[in-house]
Amino acid sequence: MAVEFKKIEGDSIQYIALVIILAVVTGAGFYAYVLDHEIGGLNGLSNRVPWGIVNAGIPYFIGLSAGSLIVSALAGVFNIKKYKVFSRIAAYMAAAWIIAAILSIALDIGKLYHFMNAVKYFNPTSIFSWNAFLYSSYFVICSIYLLVQFEEMERATRFMAGLAVFWAVLVHSGTGAIYSFMYSKELYHSALTPPMFIVCAITSGLGLLLATLYFTFKFTNRELDPSLIRGLGLIFAGLMMVLGYFLAVEGLEKGYIPGLHKAVQFVFLNPGTGVFWSFWLLVVFGIAIPTIIILYPKTGYDLRWISVAGILHAALVFAERFYLIIPGQVFPEEYLPGYELESLHTLEGYVVSYTPTIFEWLQIIGLIAMVYLIFVVGVKLFALIPERAVEEVVEE
Amino acid sequence: MMSRRKFLILTGAVAAGTILPTQISAKTQFVEAAEEIEAKRRWGMAVDVAKCTECMEELIAKTGNEKVKPPCVVACDKENNVPEFKEKRFDPQWMRIAKLKLEKPVNAKEFYIPLLCNHCEYPPCVQVCLTKASFKRPDGIVEIDMHRCIGCRYCMIACPYGARSFNFLDPREGLEEINPKVQMRTEGVVEKCTFCVHRVDEAIAKGEEPVPACVEACHKFGKGALVFGNVKDPNSEIAKILRENMPVQLRANLGTDPHVFYLKLGGE
Ligand code: SF4
Ligand code: SF4
Repeated sequence: MAVEFKKIEGDSIQYIALVIILAVVTGAGFYAYVLDHEIGGLNGLSNRVPWGIVNAGIPYFIGLSAGSLIVSALAGVFNIKKYKVFSRIAAYMAAAWIIAAILSIALDIGKLYHFMNAVKYFNPTSIFSWNAFLYSSYFVICSIYLLVQFEEMERATRFMAGLAVFWAVLVHSGTGAIYSFMYSKELYHSALTPPMFIVCAITSGLGLLLATLYFTFKFTNRELDPSLIRGLGLIFAGLMMVLGYFLAVEGLEKGYIPGLHKAVQFVFLNPGTGVFWSFWLLVVFGIAIPTIIILYPKTGYDLRWISVAGILHAALVFAERFYLIIPGQVFPEEYLPGYELESLHTLEGYVVSYTPTIFEWLQIIGLIAMVYLIFVVGVKLFALIPERAVEEVVEE
Repeated sequence: MMSRRKFLILTGAVAAGTILPTQISAKTQFVEAAEEIEAKRRWGMAVDVAKCTECMEELIAKTGNEKVKPPCVVACDKENNVPEFKEKRFDPQWMRIAKLKLEKPVNAKEFYIPLLCNHCEYPPCVQVCLTKASFKRPDGIVEIDMHRCIGCRYCMIACPYGARSFNFLDPREGLEEINPKVQMRTEGVVEKCTFCVHRVDEAIAKGEEPVPACVEACHKFGKGALVFGNVKDPNSEIAKILRENMPVQLRANLGTDPHVFYLKLGGE
């Protein structure tokens, strides 16, 4: 085999410092969780907005995982040799992100001590219940896929790659359905969400992978050929445009319904809220600018610019999750169509606000730091990254 | 190879993690068979909106408090250990009053209605619950098993009627006294109106007609706006009311078939 994978030494001061920093941030995230639950009410949630950004972490991390895995399996399924250099890194990251997703569920639920009930009891009509099963099996599939790669078992790798892609699509469509099948909230309900999740998963997974590759190769002084990245970059840009298309269709369809005019106005045209900003920041900085960076020849071949585009997009996909989860909760539902309703004793009937607190942000940032901790430690323990990644080596 | 061993250990650890200690879970015990109950009993509530509106108007005029809690709400809070927290966003409220106004006419009249769990025939909350902690009894009452609930709040997202509250704080911190007849909840689970299931079961065991706390308080206050009963019994008061009126269910278009029926929305 032409591609040589190699562990890194990992004994430089910088490496150790990086491990320590990531560990501290991870620790801070878990500490924020403990404080939030010990003291109670340090988050910005309410009985009207019971799902906030820690919940948004679930689809976000699963998206990054599914995206990473689909990219990795590109090499396996279609036997594209030149992408094989990334396949281990991507599969490893996929497993790490799914751990973050499962931990995000653990941090989000109110009774951690009852967590195993989600595994023990199965409700066939609950999409989340199916997902609990899908997430754990997905993690196992990721691990086996990585294992057969380490063993260099060619046929098993191809088979596992196919299975992994199938499973990733299933897992992530299921995650989209958790939200979009909620017929009680008009702003949630959309058949476009699951396919949009798949596209979004690939773009965010790819974006982050591009950046991760760049920095890894740079810090380990290995060779990375920009033309190898170019192909991935073009897929990245193309799918971002597809995502933009989906968002436009969905928004226009909702805006067409008279009954939703007020809600749609609130979401898209009211700059006083985080909902508004989550959508427009996503569109401008998460889709338009990264796409231009990739397509513009001066920046599109520059690994640094590609990394910027990747990180921008991946970060703002979090805004997409916010845009998906929050508006349906903060904007009140009509209990009796045609009637204005105001509750005297609860917040029902009012537009409520949700502003995530530092304690919620820390949990999300902590989980991201944890994934990179797993990654940084991983490249030392396992042979994940290739010696060099240039076209000639792999094309043979 | 090093890597393989490490990975086997990793996978093994995950497998071990799934075999964690079993927890005891409460299950409702029925003397009669489920099918028998289902054929015989289905609890529901009828709300006379004209009477509710009259009651609220009087109370507001008397107290000068726009947000006064009428006897039904006070009774529910007390009976079911529903805590009172200053911060409204955390404050659980099983029964609450809402002001309704038709958007169209100028100076439209305002109506008051109580909101509570509708004990839907096809409850979305039960449909989505991961653990089957939310469940519907054969007599139609939708309940939550507090030992099983993981506090994921999926049911709160799914409920079209905002009937559910999450215990962000320990309910005991917001209670002055505790009614020992009703199960106490903890922090981290979801709760909602149970149609006073403890009263229902007690009455059925004694062969009496069950009366939830809110309905009792409403009667004692001399209004009689709320009627509770078995909609499957053709001779019950509620069955008669439903026959003779044009009841309205909230968000009926969703097909959840709520079992709280609102009557006389336009007054007598
Ligand atoms: S009103 Fe809400 S909580 Fe009550 S049964 Fe219906 S869906 Fe469930
Ligand atoms: S919060 Fe509890 S009752 Fe509601 S869906 Fe989750 S496990 Fe079920």
